[in-house]
Amino acid sequence: MTFTHLNVASAFSGHFGVTRPELLAEATAVRAERALAITDRNGLYGAVKHIGACLKLGLKPIVGVSLNILSETDEKLARCVILAHGGDGGIGWSALCRLVSTANTTKRKEAGIRLSALAKHIDRDGLTVATVLLGPDSNLGRATLTENRSDAAGILVQWIKALPSKGALAIEVATHLTEPGSPYSLTQARRMLALADNLGIPAVITNAVRYLEPDDAVTADVLDSARYLEPLGKFELQPNAQAWLKPAKAMRELALEITEDRTRAKKLLDTTELLAQKCELNPEKDCGWGTPKTPEKVLLGIDGNPFEVLWQKAHAAIDWRYPKAKEKQLLDVKHRLSKELITINQLGFATYFLTVADVAQMIRDMRIRIAARGSGAGSLTNYLLGISGVDPIEHNLLFERFLSTERSSLPDIDIDVESARRHDIYRAIFKRYGSERVTLLSMQSTYRGRGAMRDSGMALGLDDDEIDDIAKNMWRFSARSFRAATETKPELSKLSAALESDRKMNLLVDITERLDRLPRHISMHPCGVILGDGNLLNLTPVETSGMGLPMSQYDKDDMDPMGMLKLDVLGVRMQSAMAYAVREIEKTKNIQLELDEIPKDDEKTFELIRTTNTLGIFQIESPGQRELTGKHQPTEFNDLTIQISLFRPGPMKGNMIAPYLDGRHGFAKAEYIHPDLKPILQETFGVVIFHEHVLRIFDRMTGCGLAKADEFRRSLENPRVAQSVERFFKTQANIRGYDNETIAKVWTILASFSSFGFCKAHGAAFALPTYQSAWLKTHYPTEFIAGLLTHDPGMYPRRLLLAEARRLGVKVLPIDVNQSTNEFLVQPAPKISTNPDEPLYGVRMALTDVKAITEPEVQRIVDEQPFQDIADFYLRAKPSRRTLQNLALVGALDELARVSGHHRGDVMQRVKELNLLKLRPKDDPNQFSFDFELKEYLQNTEDLTREEKLEAELSILKMDVTEHQLEQFRPMLDAMGVVNSSELVGLRNKSEVLIAGVRVATQTPPMRSGKRVVFVSLDDGHGCADATFFDEAQARASHILFNTRLLLISGKTRRTGVNGVSLMAENAWDLKSLWNEWSKQPELSA
Amino acid sequence: MIHVDEQVAVAVNGTGEPIGFKWRNANFLVANKPMRWFIRREWWTEAVRVQRGIGRDVIEVEMWRLMASDLMSKSCQQYELLHAVGKDDWRLVLVYP
Repeated sequence: MTFTHLNVASAFSGHFGVTRPELLAEATAVRAERALAITDRNGLYGAVKHIGACLKLGLKPIVGVSLNILSETDEKLARCVILAHGGDGGIGWSALCRLVSTANTTKRKEAGIRLSALAKHIDRDGLTVATVLLGPDSNLGRATLTENRSDAAGILVQWIKALPSKGALAIEVATHLTEPGSPYSLTQARRMLALADNLGIPAVITNAVRYLEPDDAVTADVLDSARYLEPLGKFELQPNAQAWLKPAKAMRELALEITEDRTRAKKLLDTTELLAQKCELNPEKDCGWGTPKTPEKVLLGIDGNPFEVLWQKAHAAIDWRYPKAKEKQLLDVKHRLSKELITINQLGFATYFLTVADVAQMIRDMRIRIAARGSGAGSLTNYLLGISGVDPIEHNLLFERFLSTERSSLPDIDIDVESARRHDIYRAIFKRYGSERVTLLSMQSTYRGRGAMRDSGMALGLDDDEIDDIAKNMWRFSARSFRAATETKPELSKLSAALESDRKMNLLVDITERLDRLPRHISMHPCGVILGDGNLLNLTPVETSGMGLPMSQYDKDDMDPMGMLKLDVLGVRMQSAMAYAVREIEKTKNIQLELDEIPKDDEKTFELIRTTNTLGIFQIESPGQRELTGKHQPTEFNDLTIQISLFRPGPMKGNMIAPYLDGRHGFAKAEYIHPDLKPILQETFGVVIFHEHVLRIFDRMTGCGLAKADEFRRSLENPRVAQSVERFFKTQANIRGYDNETIAKVWTILASFSSFGFCKAHGAAFALPTYQSAWLKTHYPTEFIAGLLTHDPGMYPRRLLLAEARRLGVKVLPIDVNQSTNEFLVQPAPKISTNPDEPLYGVRMALTDVKAITEPEVQRIVDEQPFQDIADFYLRAKPSRRTLQNLALVGALDELARVSGHHRGDVMQRVKELNLLKLRPKDDPNQFSFDFELKEYLQNTEDLTREEKLEAELSILKMDVTEHQLEQFRPMLDAMGVVNSSELVGLRNKSEVLIAGVRVATQTPPMRSGKRVVFVSLDDGHGCADATFFDEAQARASHILFNTRLLLISGKTRRTGVNGVSLMAENAWDLKSLWNEWSKQPELSA
Repeated sequence: MIHVDEQVAVAVNGTGEPIGFKWRNANFLVANKPMRWFIRREWWTEAVRVQRGIGRDVIEVEMWRLMASDLMSKSCQQYELLHAVGKDDWRLVLVYP
């Protein structure tokens, strides 16, 4: 006889459940059970994963939710499991989705639903479509534990009255064998069962499951701690470790222990199975599993056949995209388009493409920059529909990598937009298609190393400093391998030593490992929007997202199984930065730029890239990409595509970079194995880098067609299928006349390289903004820097952008309350030289970077500009005392004082006086003069020193505006013979040098050898220098390797290419402590 | 109620229920159907390790409440025993007057 668990919280229960749904289903399948329910807290977060796992394992899926049930006055009555009925064509499922949405879209702090609303949801015209389980966590359960037992009967009568329809209510008998007389005790279970029998309500037995095995109860304790935000021992703990997924035999024994009567026990178990059967879902018919859903045609402005509309739209755009094409090229375009459209039609995706095109057009109509990303750039249809901006024919991109009849899952078309406008776009999509067809996508973040350790440390009651101390040394390993990491990583040596004797530290490591990869919290997906038809909200529950719009409780992995159309509208800061630069160019130079139309072969742009001063350029500004740029020396757009693709985990692990560079620079002769492969691999000198290469090789040598070739490529990653692919490849290539040696060689490459490759379309899609940003940096550096500072798209701190600005000769204008706003504006700059090329404009620092300044304060300053003097500013802008002081310290009031010839020391004095005033005088002309007679500044104040000014800038703005902060150490650096980063490239290989600077990046990329290498990049005002730390150097510098900000590094130069040089570090020191030592020596500092 | 915490030797039946125990050199015979439940342990103050798979002992112990009579004096009293699940490790923790 089977037993079905009807109350099971998975790990997707907001720190309540412990086990992932797939594991619960697997354990159930191993026990040869028939069905399993998932009943997550407050939502259907794990439901799709549960259904998917059940389908795979041959189990019948059951889905419910555990919800707080509220009275009409919002008092909590109970937490109940509500199970959707199945096999009813989706009525039960939609009721469940709708009631979960109701419970999650109120203004209440925690999700909950009123009993009256619940009753309405589960009664569809007299048909009961879900069952509420009334269990121990209820007013009924509590009443059974009190002296006056007749109260309990009265409460149950109330519930029956509130949920009158037949089958709407069942009593949940559950015991965790707690101390007699407490919740979840046998006593309580017996009393609940007796009440059910007395009032004729069906009773079922569950184990109110939170985890798979008793051992998991430890993890449950830690999750409880994370949920209550209290350390263990400071909140009511779970009573014991009984809430596990007990096997059928144990559940039958429990039933007998509760009833003490074989017949009654059997009836209890039978009723449980009856309800389980009632709730078994038919995923296709109940939940719309796997059926693609798109908005109704009329919403897309289509009447008639969507495919015909798509055909016409795409063909009509050929003139727009190929205005100068000759007859032959037009034929090629039309031929390829027909092929793509036929595939799209066969798959029935015409409406999908029209939908995405509609959204793209809407975004363009909003005058927002848009670009495609991913394999979608390989589609000519996408190019013609304006979804993508990269010509797939020109760049040799393949449609089949994106979509083919061999696969029928909805393709991902991802579009990048200006990050600052993303929410506007979401709102516009909701408005255009109606809120019943659109929801945002959610995202479950999971526990990784640091997060897991932090929550574990909190549970154990460690103090924050101790936790921070460990966290900042946790680099690049999963929580699961924490203990192993303490044994091998030098920066964890302190913890490792503690493990010898410190019990708490051992517990910390153990429970951190337990949390690995468990869901941590749900949030809005950074870019996903679900577009469906009018039925969407019957198929997915929604809740209110951080930005206020409804968000589905499903995550991205749930989309394909549910047949839901997910559109990725990703906010890309670089797009905002570029749009900003274009606007500033128009404002100051009156030039209207169409960034998407600029020629892609501008020599000056490539010259700039080749210098490796790529800071701020999309995708190629990281230390690793800078180094690669130095070696690669790109000369055309396709080089950018290749470079972006090479610097990816796959190609790096596959060791593709070195052979490619050797071929490119003529150090090695490109080898093509067979003349037939030369046209395919010429662009990369014989190295297989792109998925598109693999597809073409398969097709060329076997004639299998590109669509089939992409299937082969995918299956190469699966060793079992790979064998049959190998047989096919060898046989077919043989038939087509290739010799055995060629076949064997090519196969070796395909088999070993394909899983390391990269999709060229993706690389090309990225290369476009890379080129565009490089072009802007080359021709409009001031405006480009302004855009970067305003939208902060890169990986580096803003102060590094300032250093780069100074290096480029861009004028940096300090914060000025009369000129600065919430953006980094391009403004006329004072002339400081006779140089005719001196720029007339500079970048004005924004107010928003002032520490602790509030949005209303910034707004008041901007609204009230200009100001006459400091008192006027104080009166009208109404800054807080702290903001006034901070503004004064960074020189934002200097210009107001300069009129009367005063310096910052005077300003500070003035501000001090103002800040001493108890009450701010009213902004009233009659009172204006009161107390403000101090028109005269105090005399003889001392100005701030250079060091003090710099210190103030760094602490308040986090930027060194007036000069580079390294300059304060200049005497010592010069005495030590420290070299500038820009000088490194002129030194001989293996020169011993010292470099100094501000840490701007620390990276530990995956290495082919498996050994860890740490890259540290320093900025010294002359550019960036990159130092590489191998094992020994890591050990020497372990105490400062990841933390210290100002560093001195010793090492040997290593030339890597024409413009490529890096430092093989030997050791590193904390610059500040060196300086302290050095300046103590009187004979040196004098 | 007297709190004690002493190791006792316990005899159990086929389903694991205690039927008698030996305490301070006296033999006790269980006189009713004993009541069983589970209580938790504060592993963060007691345990040395709690790695995945360490087992339930670290977090849970079995409790038995039973009436038993001393074979010599024949006086029948209520007792509570603590049992580390799956082990022959019993402690007498409570004696009711």
